[in-house]
Amino acid sequence: MQALDKYINEIKTLPPAPRVLSQLLLLLNDVDAHADQIVELIAFDPALTAGVLKRCNNAVTGRSVSDLDEAVKQVGFNAIYRLVAMVVGEGLLGSEQRGYGIGRGELWEHSVTTALAARVIARKQNGEENLAFTAGLLHDIGKLVLGTFLEGSRQLVVKGTRQSGQSFLEAEQTILGVEHAEIGGRVLARWNFPENLVSAVWHHHNPVLARPHEQLAAYVHLGDIIAHCLGQAQGFESFALRPQPSALEILKISPDGIDTLVLETDEALNQCNGLIKKAG
Amino acid sequence: MPSPSLTSLMGFERKFVVGVGGLAVSNNQSMILTTYSLGSCLGVTIYDPEIRAGGMLHAMLPDSSINAAKAAEQPAMFIDTGIGALFRAAYELKADKYRMQICVAGGAQFLDKTGFFNIGQRNIAHLTRLLDQHGLTIDAKDVGGLVSRTLHLHLGTGEVRVKISGESEEKILFKGYASAG
Repeated sequence: MQALDKYINEIKTLPPAPRVLSQLLLLLNDVDAHADQIVELIAFDPALTAGVLKRCNNAVTGRSVSDLDEAVKQVGFNAIYRLVAMVVGEGLLGSEQRGYGIGRGELWEHSVTTALAARVIARKQNGEENLAFTAGLLHDIGKLVLGTFLEGSRQLVVKGTRQSGQSFLEAEQTILGVEHAEIGGRVLARWNFPENLVSAVWHHHNPVLARPHEQLAAYVHLGDIIAHCLGQAQGFESFALRPQPSALEILKISPDGIDTLVLETDEALNQCNGLIKKAG
Repeated sequence: MPSPSLTSLMGFERKFVVGVGGLAVSNNQSMILTTYSLGSCLGVTIYDPEIRAGGMLHAMLPDSSINAAKAAEQPAMFIDTGIGALFRAAYELKADKYRMQICVAGGAQFLDKTGFFNIGQRNIAHLTRLLDQHGLTIDAKDVGGLVSRTLHLHLGTGEVRVKISGESEEKILFKGYASAG
Protein backbone atom coordinates (compact mmCIF):
# COMPACT_ATOMS: atom_id res chain seq x y z
CA MET A 1 0.00 0.00 0.00
CA GLN A 2 3.06 2.23 0.24
CA ALA A 3 3.03 2.71 -3.52
CA LEU A 4 -0.58 3.73 -3.39
CA ASP A 5 0.10 6.27 -0.64
CA LYS A 6 2.79 7.82 -2.79
CA TYR A 7 0.31 8.39 -5.59
CA ILE A 8 -2.45 9.54 -3.27
CA ASN A 9 -0.14 12.13 -1.74
CA GLU A 10 0.45 13.40 -5.22
CA ILE A 11 -3.19 14.52 -5.21
CA LYS A 12 -2.06 17.49 -3.16
CA THR A 13 -0.35 18.86 -6.25
CA LEU A 14 -3.64 18.90 -8.15
CA PRO A 15 -5.62 22.13 -8.47
CA PRO A 16 -8.07 22.88 -5.63
CA ALA A 17 -10.93 20.43 -5.29
CA PRO A 18 -13.85 21.27 -7.54
CA ARG A 19 -16.10 21.37 -4.46
CA VAL A 20 -18.55 23.57 -6.25
CA LEU A 21 -19.55 20.61 -8.40
CA SER A 22 -20.36 18.27 -5.54
CA GLN A 23 -22.21 21.05 -3.72
CA LEU A 24 -24.20 21.92 -6.82
CA LEU A 25 -25.05 18.25 -7.30
CA LEU A 26 -26.44 18.20 -3.75
CA LEU A 27 -28.57 21.26 -4.49
CA LEU A 28 -29.77 19.65 -7.69
CA ASN A 29 -31.23 16.78 -5.75
CA ASP A 30 -32.80 19.01 -3.12
CA VAL A 31 -36.38 19.83 -4.05
CA ASP A 32 -36.34 22.83 -1.69
CA ALA A 33 -33.23 24.35 -3.29
CA HIS A 34 -33.70 27.92 -4.41
CA ALA A 35 -32.05 29.69 -7.35
CA ASP A 36 -30.44 32.14 -4.90
CA GLN A 37 -28.46 29.35 -3.28
CA ILE A 38 -27.14 28.24 -6.64
CA VAL A 39 -26.13 31.76 -7.62
CA GLU A 40 -24.47 32.32 -4.26
CA LEU A 41 -22.40 29.17 -4.62
CA ILE A 42 -21.11 30.09 -8.08
CA ALA A 43 -20.69 33.80 -7.30
CA PHE A 44 -18.24 32.87 -4.53
CA ASP A 45 -15.66 32.27 -7.25
CA PRO A 46 -15.27 35.32 -9.54
CA ALA A 47 -13.27 33.48 -12.21
CA LEU A 48 -15.91 30.78 -12.34
CA THR A 49 -18.67 33.37 -12.60
CA ALA A 50 -16.90 35.11 -15.48
CA GLY A 51 -16.35 31.79 -17.27
CA VAL A 52 -19.99 30.78 -16.90
CA LEU A 53 -21.30 34.13 -18.14
CA LYS A 54 -18.92 34.12 -21.09
CA ARG A 55 -20.09 30.69 -22.22
CA CYS A 56 -23.68 31.61 -21.58
CA ASN A 57 -23.33 34.58 -23.91
CA ASN A 58 -21.39 32.64 -26.51
CA ALA A 59 -23.62 29.77 -27.21
CA VAL A 60 -26.62 29.25 -25.06
CA THR A 61 -28.79 32.31 -25.43
CA GLY A 62 -27.30 34.38 -28.20
CA ARG A 63 -28.27 37.30 -25.98
CA SER A 64 -26.09 39.17 -23.63
CA VAL A 65 -26.34 38.00 -20.05
CA SER A 66 -24.69 40.21 -17.51
CA ASP A 67 -25.28 38.51 -14.19
CA LEU A 68 -25.79 35.06 -12.78
CA ASP A 69 -29.36 35.65 -11.64
CA GLU A 70 -30.35 36.45 -15.17
CA ALA A 71 -28.35 33.52 -16.56
CA VAL A 72 -30.08 31.03 -14.26
CA LYS A 73 -33.47 32.48 -15.18
CA GLN A 74 -32.74 32.33 -18.90
CA VAL A 75 -31.19 28.94 -19.39
CA GLY A 76 -32.32 27.10 -16.28
CA PHE A 77 -30.44 25.38 -13.53
CA ASN A 78 -29.47 22.27 -15.47
CA ALA A 79 -27.78 24.20 -18.27
CA ILE A 80 -26.01 26.42 -15.73
CA TYR A 81 -24.83 23.35 -13.87
CA ARG A 82 -23.28 21.92 -17.03
CA LEU A 83 -21.62 25.26 -17.82
CA VAL A 84 -20.11 25.29 -14.33
CA ALA A 85 -18.93 21.71 -14.84
CA MET A 86 -17.34 22.71 -18.14
CA VAL A 87 -15.51 25.71 -16.69
CA VAL A 88 -14.26 23.66 -13.75
CA GLY A 89 -13.37 20.70 -15.98
CA GLU A 90 -11.43 22.76 -18.47
CA GLY A 91 -9.30 24.28 -15.71
CA LEU A 92 -8.70 20.90 -14.16
CA LEU A 93 -8.10 18.72 -17.22
CA GLY A 94 -6.58 21.09 -19.78
CA SER A 95 -2.90 20.41 -19.19
CA GLU A 96 -0.59 18.20 -21.23
CA GLN A 97 -0.10 14.65 -19.89
CA ARG A 98 3.22 13.54 -21.30
CA GLY A 99 3.12 10.16 -19.59
CA TYR A 100 0.13 9.29 -21.73
CA GLY A 101 1.25 11.14 -24.87
CA ILE A 102 -1.73 13.45 -24.40
CA GLY A 103 -1.26 17.02 -25.63
CA ARG A 104 -2.57 20.22 -24.09
CA GLY A 105 -6.37 20.35 -24.17
CA GLU A 106 -6.74 16.77 -25.40
CA LEU A 107 -7.73 15.15 -22.09
CA TRP A 108 -10.29 17.90 -21.67
CA GLU A 109 -11.78 17.21 -25.11
CA HIS A 110 -11.90 13.49 -24.40
CA SER A 111 -13.53 14.10 -21.02
CA VAL A 112 -16.19 16.45 -22.30
CA THR A 113 -17.04 14.09 -25.17
CA THR A 114 -17.36 11.23 -22.69
CA ALA A 115 -19.56 13.46 -20.51
CA LEU A 116 -21.86 14.30 -23.42
CA ALA A 117 -22.09 10.65 -24.49
CA ALA A 118 -22.86 9.54 -20.92
CA ARG A 119 -25.57 12.19 -20.76
CA VAL A 120 -27.06 11.13 -24.12
CA ILE A 121 -27.36 7.56 -22.82
CA ALA A 122 -28.66 8.61 -19.38
CA ARG A 123 -31.33 10.75 -20.98
CA LYS A 124 -32.57 7.85 -23.10
CA GLN A 125 -32.74 5.72 -19.97
CA ASN A 126 -34.39 8.37 -17.83
CA GLY A 127 -31.29 8.39 -15.66
CA GLU A 128 -29.77 11.33 -13.83
CA GLU A 129 -28.31 13.38 -16.65
CA ASN A 130 -26.22 15.78 -14.60
CA LEU A 131 -24.70 13.00 -12.57
CA ALA A 132 -23.85 11.05 -15.73
CA PHE A 133 -22.36 14.21 -17.25
CA THR A 134 -20.21 14.89 -14.18
CA ALA A 135 -19.01 11.30 -13.88
CA GLY A 136 -18.09 11.34 -17.56
CA LEU A 137 -16.27 14.62 -17.18
CA LEU A 138 -14.18 13.43 -14.25
CA HIS A 139 -13.68 9.77 -15.22
CA ASP A 140 -10.02 10.13 -16.21
CA ILE A 141 -9.00 12.46 -13.41
CA GLY A 142 -6.65 9.73 -12.14
CA LYS A 143 -4.51 10.34 -15.21
CA LEU A 144 -3.56 13.74 -13.78
CA VAL A 145 -1.96 11.90 -10.87
CA LEU A 146 -0.33 9.02 -12.76
CA GLY A 147 0.79 11.02 -15.80
CA THR A 148 4.03 12.14 -14.16
CA PHE A 149 4.88 8.63 -12.99
CA LEU A 150 4.30 7.13 -16.43
CA GLU A 151 6.75 9.47 -18.12
CA GLY A 152 9.55 7.42 -19.61
CA SER A 153 7.51 4.20 -19.48
CA ARG A 154 6.13 4.42 -22.97
CA GLN A 155 8.14 1.46 -24.30
CA LEU A 156 6.98 -0.67 -21.38
CA VAL A 157 3.34 0.20 -22.04
CA VAL A 158 3.70 -0.54 -25.77
CA LYS A 159 5.45 -3.82 -25.00
CA GLY A 160 2.61 -4.73 -22.65
CA THR A 161 -0.14 -3.91 -25.11
CA ARG A 162 1.40 -5.20 -28.33
CA GLN A 163 3.40 -8.20 -27.10
CA SER A 164 1.36 -9.36 -24.13
CA GLY A 165 -2.07 -8.17 -25.28
CA GLN A 166 -2.53 -6.07 -22.15
CA SER A 167 -5.00 -3.23 -21.91
CA PHE A 168 -3.58 0.17 -20.98
CA LEU A 169 -5.10 -0.30 -17.55
CA GLU A 170 -3.32 -3.62 -17.08
CA ALA A 171 -0.07 -2.08 -18.31
CA GLU A 172 -0.44 0.70 -15.71
CA GLN A 173 -1.04 -1.92 -13.04
CA THR A 174 2.09 -3.83 -14.08
CA ILE A 175 4.32 -0.78 -14.28
CA LEU A 176 3.01 1.37 -11.40
CA GLY A 177 1.15 -1.15 -9.25
CA VAL A 178 -2.04 0.86 -9.58
CA GLU A 179 -4.29 2.11 -12.37
CA HIS A 180 -5.83 5.49 -13.16
CA ALA A 181 -9.49 4.56 -12.60
CA GLU A 182 -8.86 3.52 -8.99
CA ILE A 183 -6.74 6.61 -8.36
CA GLY A 184 -9.49 8.74 -9.89
CA GLY A 185 -12.06 7.22 -7.56
CA ARG A 186 -9.81 7.84 -4.58
CA VAL A 187 -9.23 11.45 -5.60
CA LEU A 188 -12.97 12.08 -5.82
CA ALA A 189 -13.58 10.34 -2.48
CA ARG A 190 -10.98 12.57 -0.89
CA TRP A 191 -12.77 15.55 -2.40
CA ASN A 192 -16.03 14.35 -0.80
CA PHE A 193 -17.88 13.61 -4.00
CA PRO A 194 -20.94 11.38 -3.51
CA GLU A 195 -20.36 7.65 -3.33
CA ASN A 196 -22.14 6.88 -6.61
CA LEU A 197 -19.84 9.23 -8.50
CA VAL A 198 -16.73 7.86 -6.78
CA SER A 199 -17.76 4.33 -7.58
CA ALA A 200 -18.66 5.07 -11.22
CA VAL A 201 -15.26 6.67 -11.84
CA TRP A 202 -13.38 3.95 -9.92
CA HIS A 203 -15.02 1.18 -11.98
CA HIS A 204 -15.54 2.93 -15.29
CA HIS A 205 -13.56 0.19 -17.02
CA ASN A 206 -15.69 -2.58 -15.50
CA PRO A 207 -19.11 -1.26 -14.48
CA VAL A 208 -20.31 -4.51 -12.88
CA LEU A 209 -17.91 -3.87 -9.99
CA ALA A 210 -19.61 -0.55 -9.21
CA ARG A 211 -22.71 -2.28 -7.85
CA PRO A 212 -25.12 -0.84 -6.70
CA HIS A 213 -24.07 2.08 -8.93
CA GLU A 214 -23.39 -0.04 -12.00
CA GLN A 215 -25.82 1.92 -14.12
CA LEU A 216 -23.92 5.18 -13.67
CA ALA A 217 -20.63 3.36 -14.26
CA ALA A 218 -22.08 1.83 -17.45
CA TYR A 219 -23.02 5.30 -18.76
CA VAL A 220 -19.42 6.36 -18.27
CA HIS A 221 -17.98 3.14 -19.70
CA LEU A 222 -20.01 3.41 -22.89
CA GLY A 223 -19.43 7.17 -22.99
CA ASP A 224 -15.66 6.56 -22.88
CA ILE A 225 -15.90 4.07 -25.76
CA ILE A 226 -18.05 6.41 -27.83
CA ALA A 227 -15.53 9.23 -27.29
CA HIS A 228 -12.86 6.89 -28.68
CA CYS A 229 -15.05 6.11 -31.69
CA LEU A 230 -15.41 9.83 -32.33
CA GLY A 231 -11.65 10.23 -32.38
CA GLN A 232 -11.62 12.05 -29.04
CA ALA A 233 -9.04 9.81 -27.44
CA GLN A 234 -5.53 11.03 -28.02
CA GLY A 235 -2.31 9.64 -26.63
CA PHE A 236 -0.46 6.46 -27.48
CA GLU A 237 -2.18 3.06 -27.50
CA SER A 238 -5.41 4.80 -26.61
CA PHE A 239 -7.56 1.98 -28.02
CA ALA A 240 -5.98 -0.56 -25.67
CA LEU A 241 -9.09 -0.88 -23.60
CA ARG A 242 -11.57 -3.68 -23.13
CA PRO A 243 -15.17 -2.69 -23.81
CA GLN A 244 -17.46 -4.67 -21.52
CA PRO A 245 -20.56 -6.29 -23.04
CA SER A 246 -21.91 -6.29 -19.46
CA ALA A 247 -22.35 -2.50 -19.80
CA LEU A 248 -24.84 -3.17 -22.60
CA GLU A 249 -26.62 -5.76 -20.46
CA ILE A 250 -26.85 -3.42 -17.47
CA LEU A 251 -28.47 -0.74 -19.62
CA LYS A 252 -30.42 -3.19 -21.79
CA ILE A 253 -28.92 -1.74 -24.95
CA SER A 254 -28.63 -3.97 -27.99
CA PRO A 255 -25.18 -4.09 -29.67
CA ASP A 256 -26.92 -2.81 -32.82
CA GLY A 257 -27.72 0.40 -30.95
CA ILE A 258 -24.09 1.47 -30.51
CA ASP A 259 -23.77 3.15 -33.91
CA THR A 260 -26.84 5.28 -33.22
CA LEU A 261 -25.42 6.35 -29.85
CA VAL A 262 -22.20 7.40 -31.59
CA LEU A 263 -24.22 9.45 -34.06
CA GLU A 264 -26.31 11.08 -31.34
CA THR A 265 -23.22 11.99 -29.33
CA ASP A 266 -21.68 13.57 -32.42
CA GLU A 267 -24.80 15.71 -32.77
CA ALA A 268 -24.67 16.71 -29.10
CA LEU A 269 -21.01 17.60 -29.59
CA ASN A 270 -21.80 19.81 -32.58
CA GLN A 271 -24.53 21.56 -30.64
CA CYS A 272 -22.16 22.75 -27.97
CA ASN A 273 -18.96 23.05 -29.97
CA GLY A 274 -18.65 26.71 -29.11
CA LEU A 275 -18.43 25.75 -25.45
CA ILE A 276 -15.76 23.12 -25.84
CA LYS A 277 -13.09 24.67 -28.01
CA LYS A 278 -9.99 24.67 -25.94
CA ALA A 279 -8.70 28.01 -24.87
CA GLY A 280 -5.61 29.39 -26.60
CA MET B 1 -2.97 22.69 -67.18
CA PRO B 2 -3.52 25.90 -65.22
CA SER B 3 -0.44 27.89 -64.41
CA PRO B 4 0.81 27.44 -60.88
CA SER B 5 -0.50 29.90 -58.38
CA LEU B 6 1.74 32.37 -56.65
CA THR B 7 1.46 30.52 -53.37
CA SER B 8 2.75 27.24 -54.81
CA LEU B 9 5.62 29.02 -56.55
CA MET B 10 6.63 30.51 -53.26
CA GLY B 11 6.36 27.19 -51.48
CA PHE B 12 3.50 28.18 -49.23
CA GLU B 13 0.96 25.51 -48.53
CA ARG B 14 -2.52 26.03 -47.33
CA LYS B 15 -4.15 23.48 -45.12
CA PHE B 16 -7.81 22.63 -45.36
CA VAL B 17 -9.24 20.61 -42.47
CA VAL B 18 -11.84 17.97 -43.20
CA GLY B 19 -14.04 17.47 -40.13
CA VAL B 20 -15.66 14.30 -38.80
CA GLY B 21 -18.35 13.26 -41.26
CA GLY B 22 -16.98 15.67 -43.85
CA LEU B 23 -15.35 15.52 -47.26
CA ALA B 24 -13.45 17.88 -49.54
CA VAL B 25 -12.04 17.75 -53.06
CA SER B 26 -9.71 20.20 -54.76
CA ASN B 27 -7.29 20.69 -57.62
CA ASN B 28 -5.49 23.51 -55.85
CA GLN B 29 -1.96 22.23 -55.84
CA SER B 30 -0.78 24.40 -53.02
CA MET B 31 -3.29 22.81 -50.71
CA ILE B 32 -3.00 20.05 -48.15
CA LEU B 33 -6.15 18.27 -47.04
CA THR B 34 -5.93 17.18 -43.41
CA THR B 35 -8.18 15.30 -41.08
CA TYR B 36 -7.62 14.86 -37.36
CA SER B 37 -9.09 12.53 -34.79
CA LEU B 38 -9.30 9.31 -36.76
CA GLY B 39 -10.20 6.80 -34.05
CA SER B 40 -12.42 4.03 -35.33
CA CYS B 41 -13.44 6.45 -38.11
CA LEU B 42 -11.87 5.97 -41.54
CA GLY B 43 -10.04 8.59 -43.51
CA VAL B 44 -10.00 7.90 -47.26
CA THR B 45 -7.97 9.86 -49.80
CA ILE B 46 -8.32 9.66 -53.57
CA TYR B 47 -5.96 11.32 -56.03
CA ASP B 48 -5.76 11.47 -59.80
CA PRO B 49 -2.07 12.11 -60.57
CA GLU B 50 -2.72 13.07 -64.17
CA ILE B 51 -4.83 16.09 -63.41
CA ARG B 52 -3.49 16.53 -59.89
CA ALA B 53 -6.83 16.62 -58.20
CA GLY B 54 -8.02 14.65 -55.25
CA GLY B 55 -10.11 14.51 -52.17
CA MET B 56 -10.53 13.26 -48.65
CA LEU B 57 -13.37 11.70 -46.68
CA HIS B 58 -13.68 11.29 -42.89
CA ALA B 59 -16.48 8.77 -42.36
CA MET B 60 -17.63 7.79 -38.91
CA LEU B 61 -19.83 4.74 -39.38
CA PRO B 62 -20.13 1.98 -41.97
CA ASP B 63 -23.78 1.78 -42.85
CA SER B 64 -26.20 4.63 -43.57
CA SER B 65 -29.26 2.43 -43.14
CA ILE B 66 -29.30 3.24 -39.39
CA ASN B 67 -30.35 6.82 -40.19
CA ALA B 68 -31.41 7.60 -43.74
CA ALA B 69 -32.28 11.22 -42.92
CA LYS B 70 -28.79 11.84 -41.55
CA ALA B 71 -27.26 10.16 -44.62
CA ALA B 72 -29.25 12.45 -46.92
CA GLU B 73 -28.19 15.52 -44.98
CA GLN B 74 -24.56 14.50 -44.43
CA PRO B 75 -23.56 11.58 -46.70
CA ALA B 76 -19.91 11.77 -45.62
CA MET B 77 -20.90 10.49 -42.17
CA PHE B 78 -21.15 6.93 -43.50
CA ILE B 79 -18.79 4.81 -45.60
CA ASP B 80 -21.48 3.63 -48.01
CA THR B 81 -22.87 7.06 -48.87
CA GLY B 82 -19.58 8.92 -48.29
CA ILE B 83 -17.45 7.03 -50.80
CA GLY B 84 -19.97 7.68 -53.57
CA ALA B 85 -20.14 11.35 -52.64
CA LEU B 86 -16.33 11.64 -52.57
CA PHE B 87 -15.87 10.09 -56.01
CA ARG B 88 -18.71 12.10 -57.52
CA ALA B 89 -17.22 15.33 -56.19
CA ALA B 90 -13.85 14.40 -57.72
CA TYR B 91 -15.48 13.64 -61.09
CA GLU B 92 -16.66 17.26 -61.11
CA LEU B 93 -12.97 18.16 -61.29
CA LYS B 94 -12.55 15.73 -64.24
CA ALA B 95 -10.81 13.09 -62.16
CA ASP B 96 -10.93 9.56 -63.55
CA LYS B 97 -12.15 6.65 -61.47
CA TYR B 98 -9.49 4.18 -62.61
CA ARG B 99 -6.55 6.58 -62.33
CA MET B 100 -7.39 7.23 -58.72
CA GLN B 101 -4.76 6.45 -56.08
CA ILE B 102 -6.66 5.35 -52.98
CA CYS B 103 -5.27 5.47 -49.45
CA VAL B 104 -6.95 4.66 -46.17
CA ALA B 105 -6.11 5.36 -42.52
CA GLY B 106 -7.92 4.91 -39.22
CA GLY B 107 -10.26 2.12 -38.14
CA ALA B 108 -8.57 1.65 -34.76
CA GLN B 109 -9.80 -1.36 -32.82
CA PHE B 110 -10.47 -1.99 -29.16
CA LEU B 111 -9.45 -5.17 -27.38
CA ASP B 112 -12.92 -6.56 -27.97
CA LYS B 113 -13.46 -10.27 -28.51
CA THR B 114 -17.21 -9.87 -28.97
CA GLY B 115 -16.87 -7.47 -31.90
CA PHE B 116 -19.84 -5.48 -30.56
CA PHE B 117 -17.77 -2.35 -30.19
CA ASN B 118 -15.45 -2.66 -33.17
CA ILE B 119 -16.83 0.00 -35.44
CA GLY B 120 -13.31 0.36 -36.88
CA GLN B 121 -13.29 -3.21 -38.10
CA ARG B 122 -16.75 -2.85 -39.62
CA ASN B 123 -15.74 0.40 -41.32
CA ILE B 124 -12.75 -1.28 -42.98
CA ALA B 125 -14.77 -4.32 -44.05
CA HIS B 126 -17.49 -2.14 -45.52
CA LEU B 127 -15.04 0.02 -47.44
CA THR B 128 -13.12 -2.95 -48.83
CA ARG B 129 -16.34 -4.59 -50.00
CA LEU B 130 -17.57 -1.40 -51.62
CA LEU B 131 -14.32 -0.72 -53.50
CA ASP B 132 -14.21 -4.35 -54.57
CA GLN B 133 -17.66 -4.08 -56.10
CA HIS B 134 -16.37 -1.19 -58.21
CA GLY B 135 -13.18 -2.94 -59.23
CA LEU B 136 -11.04 -0.57 -57.18
CA THR B 137 -8.15 -1.42 -54.88
CA ILE B 138 -6.47 0.36 -52.01
CA ASP B 139 -2.94 1.53 -52.85
CA ALA B 140 -1.78 2.07 -49.28
CA LYS B 141 -3.33 1.76 -45.87
CA ASP B 142 -2.55 2.23 -42.22
CA VAL B 143 -5.55 0.79 -40.43
CA GLY B 144 -6.56 -1.03 -37.26
CA GLY B 145 -4.31 -1.23 -34.25
CA LEU B 146 -4.69 0.60 -30.96
CA VAL B 147 -3.94 4.12 -32.11
CA SER B 148 -5.62 7.36 -33.22
CA ARG B 149 -4.34 9.01 -36.39
CA THR B 150 -4.13 12.22 -38.39
CA LEU B 151 -4.12 12.01 -42.21
CA HIS B 152 -2.75 14.47 -44.79
CA LEU B 153 -3.05 14.55 -48.61
CA HIS B 154 -0.75 16.87 -50.50
CA LEU B 155 -2.64 17.93 -53.62
CA GLY B 156 0.47 19.07 -55.45
CA THR B 157 2.08 15.64 -55.42
CA GLY B 158 -0.46 13.10 -54.22
CA GLU B 159 1.71 12.30 -51.24
CA VAL B 160 -0.19 10.92 -48.26
CA ARG B 161 1.15 11.16 -44.72
CA VAL B 162 -0.07 9.72 -41.45
CA LYS B 163 0.66 10.81 -37.91
CA ILE B 164 0.00 8.47 -35.03
CA SER B 165 -1.25 10.14 -31.86
CA GLY B 166 1.41 10.24 -29.15
CA GLU B 167 4.25 9.93 -31.70
CA SER B 168 6.24 12.93 -32.78
CA GLU B 169 7.01 12.00 -36.40
CA GLU B 170 4.71 11.79 -39.41
CA LYS B 171 5.27 8.90 -41.79
CA ILE B 172 4.77 8.71 -45.53
CA LEU B 173 1.94 6.31 -46.32
CA PHE B 174 2.02 6.84 -50.07
CA LYS B 175 4.68 8.61 -52.07
CA GLY B 176 2.78 10.48 -54.75
CA TYR B 177 3.50 9.67 -58.40
CA ALA B 178 3.02 13.25 -59.45
CA SER B 179 6.36 14.78 -58.63
CA ALA B 180 6.51 18.45 -57.79
CA GLY B 181 8.77 19.26 -60.75
